[in-house]
Amino acid sequence: MSSHAAKEPTEPEQQLETVRTLILGKENSRITQSIEKDARRIVADVITEALHDRQKKDNSVDKVLQPLVEDSVKHSVAHNSEQMVSSLYPLVGSLVRKSVAAFLSDFMEKTNQLLENSLTVKGLKWRFKARQSGVSYAHYVASQTFVYRVEHVFLIHRETGLLLNSVALDNENKSDADIISAMLTAINDFVGDSFLTEHERPKEQLQAVSTDNFNLLIKPGPSALVVAAVSGNPPQSISNQLQLTVENIHSLYSDELNSFSGDNQDFDNSDNLLRDCLLSEQKIKTSKQKKTPWFAWAILVLVLLYTGYQALNWLKVTELKEKIMRLDNQPGVIIKQLIINDLNNITLDILRDPDALNIRHWLNSNEMNAKKFNIIERSYYSLDPEILRQRAQLIIKAYPNISFNWQDNTLALAGTLDITKTEQLLNTLAIAGFTTEDNLVTEQLQLISAQPIVESQQVKQQIFDELIGRIAAIQLNFSVASEEITPKMHSSLQRLYQYIRQLEPLAQELKINFGLLILGSSDNTGYKAANNIISTKRASNAAAILQQKGLAKDKMFVLGLGQVDIINISSRARTVMFNVMYTNEM
Amino acid sequence: MIQKKICLLGASSVGKTSLVQQFVEGIFNEKYLTTIGVKVDRKTLPIANQEINFMLWDMEGNDSYNVFQERYLRGAAGYIIVVDQTRASSLHEGLDIHTLAQQVTNCPAILAINKNDLPATWHLDDSENESYKKLFDLQFSTSAKTGSNVEEMFLALAKLLVRFEKNDITT
Repeated sequence: MSSHAAKEPTEPEQQLETVRTLILGKENSRITQSIEKDARRIVADVITEALHDRQKKDNSVDKVLQPLVEDSVKHSVAHNSEQMVSSLYPLVGSLVRKSVAAFLSDFMEKTNQLLENSLTVKGLKWRFKARQSGVSYAHYVASQTFVYRVEHVFLIHRETGLLLNSVALDNENKSDADIISAMLTAINDFVGDSFLTEHERPKEQLQAVSTDNFNLLIKPGPSALVVAAVSGNPPQSISNQLQLTVENIHSLYSDELNSFSGDNQDFDNSDNLLRDCLLSEQKIKTSKQKKTPWFAWAILVLVLLYTGYQALNWLKVTELKEKIMRLDNQPGVIIKQLIINDLNNITLDILRDPDALNIRHWLNSNEMNAKKFNIIERSYYSLDPEILRQRAQLIIKAYPNISFNWQDNTLALAGTLDITKTEQLLNTLAIAGFTTEDNLVTEQLQLISAQPIVESQQVKQQIFDELIGRIAAIQLNFSVASEEITPKMHSSLQRLYQYIRQLEPLAQELKINFGLLILGSSDNTGYKAANNIISTKRASNAAAILQQKGLAKDKMFVLGLGQVDIINISSRARTVMFNVMYTNEM
Repeated sequence: MIQKKICLLGASSVGKTSLVQQFVEGIFNEKYLTTIGVKVDRKTLPIANQEINFMLWDMEGNDSYNVFQERYLRGAAGYIIVVDQTRASSLHEGLDIHTLAQQVTNCPAILAINKNDLPATWHLDDSENESYKKLFDLQFSTSAKTGSNVEEMFLALAKLLVRFEKNDITT
């Protein structure tokens, strides 16, 4: 009874179950069979829409499809490469161009950045600071250029602490990822248990670990953790992204996570999900001017300043040199050497005529400070026309009766002067560089004959003898086969005439009769007869001139000597000589 | 790559860290440094056409002041109880730890009687031996100093794990 009563409430249920089995078949087999029959059609009707809706809902379709597509493309490339090539062919050209262009622009950008960072003050500062803090320069640059950057993302199995997968920004440093993940799990366990107060409460979970350079952000899920190693200050957006990734991984890999026994091959395809977490944000430049490479500019400006200074200096030196060299044009000054060490230290080595201008005065009057000059001066005797004029002026000043003028560079004297003074003047002028042969005309100079004769007979005789000597010293030199009287000879003859004029009064007083012998000669070339003729002609030509000047013909005796046979002389003895022959009156 | 978490447990200064160091780096250091918390090392072993990556969790030694924390054992594929054959007390402590560990996991366990280069102060008699053999899947007499049986022990553990996994799958 009691057993019947216990069975009673289950009876209707059993009956219902029997009915259900009759209608639906064992374990709904009739329904599933009929659905299975049409499964293909049913799924085909909705598969596109279903994919679309799911993709729209949580973007999970493409993540599932991606490895499939990758595998099928890989398969196609491996087995149907020709077909792939022909269908890709039209793309390849532009792809290559694009990639080359991208590479170039990337390269330029990097080079530019490198130059910028190494040439700016900022770059040097960073290098210094990087060295100071013991991190690599590239790392330091990243920490300075990025507000934050996710360097590494780990996917860790929560239960075992084993690494399921990891991605790195630079695809390096993957080797220690498994140890890092294990240690992180150990730390997490330690923290979780250490702060556990009540058994009912969920375990504490480590959310972030910070070091000098990194922040480890930990986003735990029921079966796996996603950990991001971030340099800089991670914003909330990373946390959100990590959360999203954890959720996606749990929904896509829930079976693999639950049955994980150490083989992480099943998680190879989670790369794409993890890569979504490799976020970064570059620092916004605080000012646009920051790009200016100040250091390079400073160097450039310094170089320019230095070049400018040198150029200016050079210009000044050249100008000064030009200015000083004008001194060389001054009469009686020759610059031997000019050394300009700098604008305040100039060595000037010169030759200067005592009558020339004073160098220091000249410098001062030409706007140059003579104090800056180290002048080495040595005297010389200049024959510059200007100096000659100056010198002549000084000499003639002492003779108030004498006036002078210049005909080209020839000094013409005029005035009256007694004979001794005349002699004195002519001597002084000769020393100063004036000779009657070259640049002195004394035709206008008149001797005072009316001057009372105070001199004694003896003195007169002396003067007479001297005049005779001077006349004898005059010699006209002719060129080959010429008897022509040149202008130079004219002036000699003029002098000779002057002497004769001076002789005449003296001769009278001394009671001396005198006459002039004019002797012509020729060289020893040519015929003797011809030489005789030409020597006579030369003498008589000279006589004719003297006669023109006013010397009486009967006071002259003209003689042609023909050739003069004296060794060393005969070949060039084309001369006219003068001699005074005198006798005392009885 | 197949990865396995292996824990080394035992009383303090029985040579857990030295065993790991001998196994991973092939060196032995006379200097004693106590482990705080846990230190993780890695060693890859080739087993039957595949490689197994051992993540070796070297735990701090446990004694009356530092009670065994089962937290680190979570997710372990196997563990090794290390005892010191020069200290009988280390065996008892090791057995205590083993008992505690079995409460949280049923993964394979190995008994490593370490320091076999030194004279033993205790021996297992036959009956003891039998009873311990039941407790552990494998038992080794090792020396971290000479390296004796160290590699062999880890290799045997790897093989055991592979077999264990296969059995697991078939059942």
